[in-house]
Amino acid sequence: MDNVLSARALMGISLGFHIIYATIGIGLPLMLMIAEGLCLRTGDELYHQLARRWIRPAGVLFAIGAVSGTILSFELGLLWPRFMAFSGPLIGLAFSIEGFAFFTEAIFLALYFYGEQRLSRQMLFFCTIILTVAAAVSAVFVISANAWMQTPAGFRLVNGTLADVHPFQALANPAWAHEALHGTLAAYVATGFAVAGVYALALLRGQNSDYNKRALTLALAVASVSLPLMLVSGDWSAMTIAVQQKPKLAAMEALFTTTRGAPLYIGGWPDPATGQVRYGIRIPKLLSYLAFRDPDALVEGLDAFPPGTTPDPRLVHPFFDLMVASFFIMLAAAVWFWWLRWRRREVPLDKWPLRALLLASPFGMVALESGWLVTEFGRQPWIAKGHMRVAEGVTPQTSIGLVLLTFLVVYLALNVGLLILLMRPASTEEVPETTQGNRHVDT
Amino acid sequence: MWTLENLAAGAVYFGLVMYAVFGGADFGGGIWTALASGPRAREQRSKLFHAIGPVWETNHVWLIFVVVTLFTAFPKGFAALFTALLIPLVIALIGINFRGAAFAFRHFGRQTGEQIPFMVSIFAVSSILTPFALGMAVTATATGKIVFVNGWVQAGPWFWIGPFTLVGGLTGMAICAYLTPIYMTVRTEGELQRDFRRQGIIAALVLGFLTTVEIPVAMLDAPLFASRLLSWRGVPFVAMSVISGITTLILLWRGRFQWAQIAAVGTVTLTISGFAAAMYPDLLIGQLSLSAAAAPPTTLRAFFSVLAIGIIILAPSLLLLYWTFRGEPNPERNP
Repeated sequence: MDNVLSARALMGISLGFHIIYATIGIGLPLMLMIAEGLCLRTGDELYHQLARRWIRPAGVLFAIGAVSGTILSFELGLLWPRFMAFSGPLIGLAFSIEGFAFFTEAIFLALYFYGEQRLSRQMLFFCTIILTVAAAVSAVFVISANAWMQTPAGFRLVNGTLADVHPFQALANPAWAHEALHGTLAAYVATGFAVAGVYALALLRGQNSDYNKRALTLALAVASVSLPLMLVSGDWSAMTIAVQQKPKLAAMEALFTTTRGAPLYIGGWPDPATGQVRYGIRIPKLLSYLAFRDPDALVEGLDAFPPGTTPDPRLVHPFFDLMVASFFIMLAAAVWFWWLRWRRREVPLDKWPLRALLLASPFGMVALESGWLVTEFGRQPWIAKGHMRVAEGVTPQTSIGLVLLTFLVVYLALNVGLLILLMRPASTEEVPETTQGNRHVDT
Repeated sequence: MWTLENLAAGAVYFGLVMYAVFGGADFGGGIWTALASGPRAREQRSKLFHAIGPVWETNHVWLIFVVVTLFTAFPKGFAALFTALLIPLVIALIGINFRGAAFAFRHFGRQTGEQIPFMVSIFAVSSILTPFALGMAVTATATGKIVFVNGWVQAGPWFWIGPFTLVGGLTGMAICAYLTPIYMTVRTEGELQRDFRRQGIIAALVLGFLTTVEIPVAMLDAPLFASRLLSWRGVPFVAMSVISGITTLILLWRGRFQWAQIAAVGTVTLTISGFAAAMYPDLLIGQLSLSAAAAPPTTLRAFFSVLAIGIIILAPSLLLLYWTFRGEPNPERNP
């Protein structure tokens, strides 16, 4: 396989996996904090048990997150040394701050996970606060490095070399604010729905314990509070991208030609050969309105930019629609659940709303992954927009195909092992009463 | 002397020492899991697993710290290193990956009441592989075989395999295997303590042998490094690490474990310091100096401001971690 393609595939696969583990590492601490806080406040031990039961699978996921993060930090150099030689002085600061936040997270994670017998309840609660903050900080700053690739800032190029380097300007690059907000909130939604799905399944199987009901409510509450904020931050992102990253917006919305009063296409397949969107639902003037709050605004299409400098809408538009569709799937399931919950003043145990939640539960992750794909495919062909192409950033080493193959095997082994492990005890795990009865607890 | 790039190099050096002293001990735990023997082999393994559990992820972050500091402060050097050392770094990564996963899987398995012996062997093998590959990668920078042609790094795919780097890899392993049993003597009692003491003495002799052999090997295989190591800058560190190593042995022999632990940390720190002193002022010996590899001053200043804030948060947090999980290795029992 071609070197650039191999490097892109490996980086993409590594990030695709890491995003899942990292997301849980951001979302779960918030839920731990809420559960421990409620326990201290109400004196209800069930909340503490809830949190303690999450940490067993979470411990494995965090560990995989730490090693997959290490793989990524190495891959920056192993796959993209030329890009890093150029951008290191600029995005290094974001990674350094993220590194310290991750350090703090690892420390307080260990204290919380292993410290049950050696720390007080207040101290355990304190650990979850630090965890939640550190996890959010690390997300916000690592996203700054990503945003810099979309909207590079904080430097000038003089004869191909860096000049006037301002690392803090690079850190606070134009795309950072909306990406960081949207991305971090997405982690809460994704984790909340994933966890809610586990307990919806337990309730569907007839394990109607107080524990399952409360866990479902808590996880879904975290997700549901963040969900409307996703809409607001998504809208802000789109309006900002319409100004800062015009080719990306055109690819997202499959807009081939520059149009006044541009329509919005829902679904459909963009065909670059004809410049048409096939099979899509066309809503007149909506894109102009959404992007500029003016139904007659001019929106630049892919034809407004020199050939070879724009992304392929076939890779961007479908993932954008998948992200938006995922949002509505989750919204519907959540609204249904909360409506019944409000009407009956207790957790509804009917089959269909729970099935809807179960169905919606992976869509937080689906939305997050597809949103990330929109961001990165929408940046092509650039590795640092306007300054360096992906092909210019890749390593001169020639055996990257082999490295890709090696890591595919590694990831396969890792994820198969993880799935086997998390699936095996699942049947007894949801019911704490029986678990403690017939399962051996670590000595 | 106190230039920005030297200070940044100091941060890389500091990260390496911390990774060796803390993370190295976790790899050592894996090595001694494989080598555990005698009537108390099971107990030795169990104590090692308990001791590693709460701290390995934190200790591992020092490696990420080194990598991030390298590409922030020495972007050109980072690019050159990670291009030339692709293969040993990939091997180390595979080891890091499987070590972490195997440990976590095993821990999870134990908590759900299942024993997974397969995971234990993966844990042990990858704990041996990783420090060996990293040791080779680090010493490869001292061979002078990574050269620049037209401003870009050139090195053969297998240049990193040679007598000097092979002994370097073994030394990496020996450093890990040396620290763990000595740390464990402080945290155990009775027969088990004597087992760890014996293992510590064996590892100390092996480490002493390897570092001694490395000097004549360097003269043949990494001549520039050898000449700098044996100059006024390197010799004090060589002498001090020898003294520290012998002191550790004596303290272990006499059962002064608290002091032996400190002396062992000193030995490892001084060994790495000797390496760093011989490398100075280069990142890639004879080919790329620290100042040529360094990022612009604005970046370095910004990095130091982040570093200062980071240390203020990190230092008390680390102290809390190691204080909480001191003494008895099993976190479920009182220290």
